[in-house]
Amino acid sequence: MKIIDKLAKIDRRIIYLILAVVVILPMIFPSVLRVRVMPPVEKLFHAVDNVPKEKALIIDFDYAPQTAPELEPMGFALLRHAFRKRTKVLILSLYVQMLGLAQNALTEVIEEFNSVAETNTDSIIYGRDYVFLGWVPPPIIPILGMGESITNVYQVDYYGNRTDTLPLMKEIKNYNNVGLLVSLSGSDPPEWWIAYAQNRFGLQVGAGVTAVSASKYFSYYQTGQFSGLMVGMKGAAEYEEMIEKELAIKSRRIASEALPPLTYAHLVIMVFIVIGNISFLMQRRKK
Amino acid sequence: MSLSVDPWIWIGALFSLAIFSFLYKDNPFYRVAEHVFVGAANGYAVTFYWHNVLVPALFNPLFRQGQLLFIIPFVIGILYFTRFIPKIGWLLRIPIGIYIGYYVGASIPAYIQAFIIKQVQGTILTPQNFASWSAGSWGILWSVILFAGVLCTLSYFYFSKEHKGVLGATSRIGTIFIMIGFGAAFGYTVMARVSLLIGRLQFLLGDWLGIIR
Repeated sequence: MKIIDKLAKIDRRIIYLILAVVVILPMIFPSVLRVRVMPPVEKLFHAVDNVPKEKALIIDFDYAPQTAPELEPMGFALLRHAFRKRTKVLILSLYVQMLGLAQNALTEVIEEFNSVAETNTDSIIYGRDYVFLGWVPPPIIPILGMGESITNVYQVDYYGNRTDTLPLMKEIKNYNNVGLLVSLSGSDPPEWWIAYAQNRFGLQVGAGVTAVSASKYFSYYQTGQFSGLMVGMKGAAEYEEMIEKELAIKSRRIASEALPPLTYAHLVIMVFIVIGNISFLMQRRKK
Repeated sequence: MSLSVDPWIWIGALFSLAIFSFLYKDNPFYRVAEHVFVGAANGYAVTFYWHNVLVPALFNPLFRQGQLLFIIPFVIGILYFTRFIPKIGWLLRIPIGIYIGYYVGASIPAYIQAFIIKQVQGTILTPQNFASWSAGSWGILWSVILFAGVLCTLSYFYFSKEHKGVLGATSRIGTIFIMIGFGAAFGYTVMARVSLLIGRLQFLLGDWLGIIR
């Protein structure tokens, strides 16, 4: 009984310490967990894979530093997938703070591809293979406006070039030339793309969302409004598994590396929940 | 172990540790880090808005290219600042009215279509919805559970009649569905928060200390 009483009054800092140890140890001594790909991620992979050659994939990078650990691996995996398939890619953000992280992901993935490219055709070239459209406020303006004309909404790209001078933008005029949009976000943007772009222009929308918002977004996947869905670190790890298995893309799997510490942390939290409930019931019985 | 020599990595690492120090207790390091973060984020947003929105989309067309029509959005925008002058503060209602009017007009039909009609369609027992679960013949069972769950949960939120009899039974079942929803949301929240911790530790142990690759 004394142990239960002590556990009920345990200092929260000890719990933080235990959690930190449980997360750090598997990172220093890594192990491999098998990643089982679930249907929502598999569907998203195939939706990206099936974007027609003449159409573009839009990736909406709407994650900030506080959601980057979950969403950034998704962005990397999507870019690798699209560039390996030579799909035309348009990048944008609906919020200003996200532009730097989008640029970061682009720089790293393009460097990976261009470092092994032997010819101009193999390389990933700005304006030909991808365009970083940047940011235009407020979000509803670009979402609705791109249905009419992308270059009218984004008259200059992130780097200050006039978009109507870029070769890729001569082919991609509006949503009619877009095969799929994937929104990576920890808040509302995936819903906005459904409400405004899909509803009015019939745009296919996929999403990568944080685990916190998963229960909200699964309903859009179930109704078919999302062509596919990645949820949290686990969803990102599943997409990494898909691109490695299907396209033989060998690169660092940040999300997959995070799964062992994530699993052990969950187990520890479950143990704490059980202990907390037992001690609560025991104390109530004593009273 | 190969310690980073990049000063930006060091700044990021030290600020991360300062934020983590709040887990022990509130302290000056945490407060400094918090204030720097808020200030830097706002400073970045304001300068970006100035250089990428106000100057190219308003000031250049109006003052450099002489496109006088741009004086209309300029004046409407300026009206936001009338709230600082009590005598003419009521003028603030004009830009707010335009803003709300635009958003409401654009949002109501889109939201009804996307978030009510489509979601209701998703609960109807049709072969397409059975197939949407990707679970073979089990899809029928999941669709029936979803259908029952939606009706029972809605009945819980029906407050015009006392929850007795049939309504009492369905609302109690609705409570179970709501609790399962909360449980799932909590589980996902734990996953999200631990993921953030892992992301920061990957940075501290990898990019900064070089202990992991």
